[in-house]
This record gives sequence, structure tokens and C-alpha cells, in this order.
Amino acid sequence: MDNFINQALLAPLELLGRQMLTVLPNVLAMGIILLGGLFTAWVLGFFSERLFRVIGFDHLCDRLGMNAALLRGGVKTDPSRIVGRSIYWTVMVLASIAALGALNLTPINQFAQSLLAYVPHLVTAAVILLAGYFLSNFVSRAVLIAAVNAGLPPARLIATCSRWGIQALAGAMALEQLGIAQHIVVVGFGITWGGIMLAGAIAFGLGASDLAKGFLERRLVTRSKSSDVDDLHHW
Amino acid sequence: MSTALTPLTAPTEARLQDIGSAEILVGIPSYNNADTVGHVVRAVSVGLAKHFPGHRAVLVNSDGGSSDETPAIVARTAIDFQHLFIGDQQSVLHRIVTPYHGIPGKGSAFRTIFEIARRLRAKACAVVDADLRSISPEWIELLLRPIMEEGYDYVAPYYLRHKYDGTITNSLAYPLTRALYGQRVRQPIGGEFGFSGALAAHYLDQHVWESEVARFGIDIWMTTEAIASGARVCQSFLGAKIHNPKDPAADLSAMLMQVMGALFALMEQHECLWSRQEGSQPVPLFGFPYEVGVEPVHVNVERMVSHYRQGLADLEPIWRQILADDTFSQLRDLQGISGTDCRIPDELWVQVVYDAAIAYRKRIMPREHLLKALTPLYLGRTASFVYATQGLTSTEAEKKIEALCHTFERMKSYLVERWQPLTLQPATPALLHNTTTDAGGDHG
Repeated sequence: MDNFINQALLAPLELLGRQMLTVLPNVLAMGIILLGGLFTAWVLGFFSERLFRVIGFDHLCDRLGMNAALLRGGVKTDPSRIVGRSIYWTVMVLASIAALGALNLTPINQFAQSLLAYVPHLVTAAVILLAGYFLSNFVSRAVLIAAVNAGLPPARLIATCSRWGIQALAGAMALEQLGIAQHIVVVGFGITWGGIMLAGAIAFGLGASDLAKGFLERRLVTRSKSSDVDDLHHW
Repeated sequence: MSTALTPLTAPTEARLQDIGSAEILVGIPSYNNADTVGHVVRAVSVGLAKHFPGHRAVLVNSDGGSSDETPAIVARTAIDFQHLFIGDQQSVLHRIVTPYHGIPGKGSAFRTIFEIARRLRAKACAVVDADLRSISPEWIELLLRPIMEEGYDYVAPYYLRHKYDGTITNSLAYPLTRALYGQRVRQPIGGEFGFSGALAAHYLDQHVWESEVARFGIDIWMTTEAIASGARVCQSFLGAKIHNPKDPAADLSAMLMQVMGALFALMEQHECLWSRQEGSQPVPLFGFPYEVGVEPVHVNVERMVSHYRQGLADLEPIWRQILADDTFSQLRDLQGISGTDCRIPDELWVQVVYDAAIAYRKRIMPREHLLKALTPLYLGRTASFVYATQGLTSTEAEKKIEALCHTFERMKSYLVERWQPLTLQPATPALLHNTTTDAGGDHG
């Protein structure tokens, strides 16, 4: 009976206890890392938000049209706060991964490692999206001004197309970076440009040949006539 | 202040060694001007021989890498002085034909001319464009004599022009320069100037030669810098100016960007000077003013109005950023007005210019975008000026420009109040003289 109790009840309990004793320091380490990470995330988030506010980051974003874009997207938080919270959550995620690693369990370690390996791709994708956003704003404004100064009637349409074209390209590149759609850039743009060209050719060649003729006449013939008669010297 | 020497080519250095020194220097910046530069060289040579026969003079051609024969024409152009009744040519005119170093542009060409003037210790200098068709030998006298004999440092040109010729000068460069710096220099971006050797050295010492000034905006920079440095400024009446088109490749928005960009950049640099200036003074005028019929200028006003209307419709978000709310709402009110009644009045145009200067300073968007976005507004204003002066003589049209200048001066407080100086510094001391000009006159 004693033997049964020892083998069937106490031995598993002893094993469990031993295992718990083995894991306990790791759990404690995880807790400490989590607490430390929480504190670090709060400190970094708080001070970086303050710093960005002091150096006029909100004002800069306002000039770049970021605040308006955020408002359009329903985000009413100011950019400094967003940066602060982003830093907070980045540190928290890293601390959580490190904390899980402290448990020293093979599946969790593998998961943490693959998550860490993915972080550079995430950062790169975010940078691509951000750069694409700024570039699209810059280019679309330059295109709009140039088109208006050239007297092109569809100036706004051209500018909008340039904006969305660049943002779509940036989105596709970001997805490729994340490994979600490896060949989306090549295939997507092949399809898009092919489609645009085909649609244009069909529309102008079959459906709107008169319109195309009239448009080209207005753009080319009347422009050259009117430019001949204006000899104003602005300088 | 920098006293670093501007690099010159080895043949130019050798030529300077040969010449040693000169009293007078005339510079001709050029780039592919083979069809006109010969006439300019002849006019300069005859002008120097006729009006300054006893002075050592040098003609400098600073070329931007012409692919035609411009430098060769400058070097070989011969003058038959006998047929011009100049028998006693006392001093040989030296010629220096040199390419310039640095950023391509008229500014870099001028820098080389200034450097040669400094090396030769020239007392009086003049620069004339290589594309001039109407230059005569008298221009050289009119640009140099106020410096040689009257003690002036800077001679600005005064041309006879059609009322619709030089609209950027009439609606922007002249009124704004006059309101800011208090000197009524009628052609601040004329292209032909006379200046003393001391002023040439002062120009060289400014740290602008790697900036946009080296490319564009050198004309307005020279005028403004002369006024700001305390140089004695005057004007010379040169008659009609006929020249080849400025730059066929340059479009209006690029030209406007050059002038406005230079004006606004100089406002930042000299804010302590202009913010204290009130009213304006007339600038002495040398020469014999006369009136001649100038070539008629045909203007397509409808196209300008159409550009303006498109700007109003398409550039609204950008103009909202650049202009004050009140200014923008006044412009928007014009949208519903049709035909010739759709005009930008003087007060509104002045507000637009001052708002744009403030927006430029605050860098609310890339400066190139800001300046180019103003093109439709400028065209709208030009169309308004054409409507307002149809049927008027040049003298009557000049009165309209005078009225615009007074509005710029009267509304200057609007600019000063909104400018918000970054730092308050003492007014810039005069570098050349203690007085700005010796011209008396009323304060507008």
C-alpha cells in the first residue's frame, strides 16, 4: 500500500514539485523582465512624447499634412502622443518576447525567435509605408501645381492618380517585405498598367473616337494658335 | 566676410598678370549668344573709346560653356573706329574671354567678373547682357560715369518699356523692393548695371555663391544688396531695351520662382533693415529721358484669366495654406464674378504678396511648391492690370503702377505685424557709406 502511495501519488507530485522548482526561477525571471519592460516602456514612451512635443514635432506634422491625414482617418490623437504610444508598445512587445524566452521552453523559444526575426521586416514595411505617404503627398502637390500652371484641365485627376499610384506602390512593396505577397509588385503593376493601356485604347479607339479627336484638337491645335498671338514679356 | 579668391582658369590668371591693373571693367555674361554678342562687344568697345579714351579698360566675357561661337566672336570682333569719328583711341581695350566655374547660371558668371575686377583693382565696372539688340555706346557712359565722376556705387538701368513689358517688375519686383527698402529703383531686375570696385568686392565677400543666387536671382540680389550695404544708388536712362527672349526653355512659373524666391530670401536676410523702413525716396536719375513709340505687345487676357480661375478651383487647398483667411476669402469671392469684372485689386494683390512672403519664411511647405503655386495668382493680377490700363498711355499706366507702389507702402504694417522676427538684432551697419543715398525727397 505504501509502495502504491509512493509510486502512484507521491512520485508524480514530487516530479511536479521538482519541475515547478526548475521552472520557478524562469517564471520569476519572466515576471521581472515583464515588470522591467513595463517600467522601461512607460518611461521611454512618456519622455519621448514629451521630447517630440518640445521639439515641435506636432507642428512639423501639421505642415506636412499628417494631422489632416490622421483626422481624415478618424484619428484625433496628436502625432507626439502616437509616437510615444508606439514606442511604449514596441518596448512592451520586445519585453514580452524576451520574457517568454526566459521560460526556456523549446516551442516558446522558437516562436519568440521567429517573432524577433520578423521585426526587421515589420519595421522596414512601416518605413516604406511612411516614406510612400510623404512621397505621394510631395509628388501629387508638385504634379497638381505643374498641371495647373500648364493649363491642363484634368490637373486634379492627374495629381490624385499620382498620389494613389505611389501609395499603391508603397503598399505593395510593404506587403512584399512582410512576405504576404512576394510577387505582388511585378504582377500587380503588370496587370494595372496593362489594364489602363487596354482600357484607354478601347475607350479612345472604339467608344470615344470623336471625343479623343476633339480633345487632341483642343489641346494641341488651339493651344498652338493662342500661344502664337501672346507676346507678353513678364520679366 | 570671406576673402577667399574665386578660382579662375590658368589662361585667365596669365592674362591678368599681363594686364596688371585697370580703371574700368565691363563684363558680358554669355551663353549661346552668337547672334547678338558681336553687337554688344562693338557697342562696349566704342563706348569706352568714345567716352573714356584715357582710361585703362578691360572687357571680360564670362561664358557658361556656349556650344556656338560666342567666345570666339567676342575675341575676334573688330571695330572700325575711323567710321565712328574716333580717331584718337588713346588706350587699348584689353579683352578677357573666360569660362566660369561653379554652379551654372548668370550669378556664377558675375562672380568671375567681380573676381577679375578685384584682381585688376578696377574703380568702375559695368555688366551688360549678351542678348541686347538695342545697346548703344552711350549705355556704357551712362552706366560708368556716375561711378567715375559722381561718387555713386551702384547704377541701375532705367528703360523705356511698353506698359505690358516687364510685368513681374511692375507688379512685384519694383513695388516690393521700394516698399521694403525705401529706394525707388524702377528696374531692380534690369540686367544692366554699373557698380564700383568696392561694391564688387563686397558682392564677392557674401556667402551666396553656392546658393540659388549663383543660378538665378542675381539681378534682384545685386540691387538689394547694394541698398542694404549702404551703397550710393542712382539710375541711368538708357532708352528702349530690345533683347532676345530671356530663356526660351524657362516657363513663367520658373521665372516667377526665381524673382519671388530671391525677393523673399533677401527679406529674411535683411529683416532688421526693412522692418524699420517707412516710406520711400526717389533715386537720382542720370541721362536724358525721352519718349519713343515702343513695339506693341499683344496680350491674351482671356488665357490669363482662365489660368487664374483654374488655380482658384484646383489649388484651393494649397492657397488656403499660403494665404491668410481674409485674403483667401476675398479671392474666393471673385470666383462668382464673370468677365472683365473679375479683377484682383491693388490691396488684395499686396495682401497676397505679403502673405506669400510670410508663408515662405515659415516654410509651411516646400518653397518651390509655394512659389510655383502663385503663378495663377500672378496671371490673375496681370490680367487685372491689363483690364485696368486698356486704352491708357504708358504715362497713365505708370500712374497705376505708382498707385500700386503706394498701396505696398501703406500696407507694409500688415507685413511687419505678421512677420514675427526670430531675433531682434541691431540694424545692419552701412558697409560702404553711412547714408543709403544722397537723394532727398518725399516719404510716401
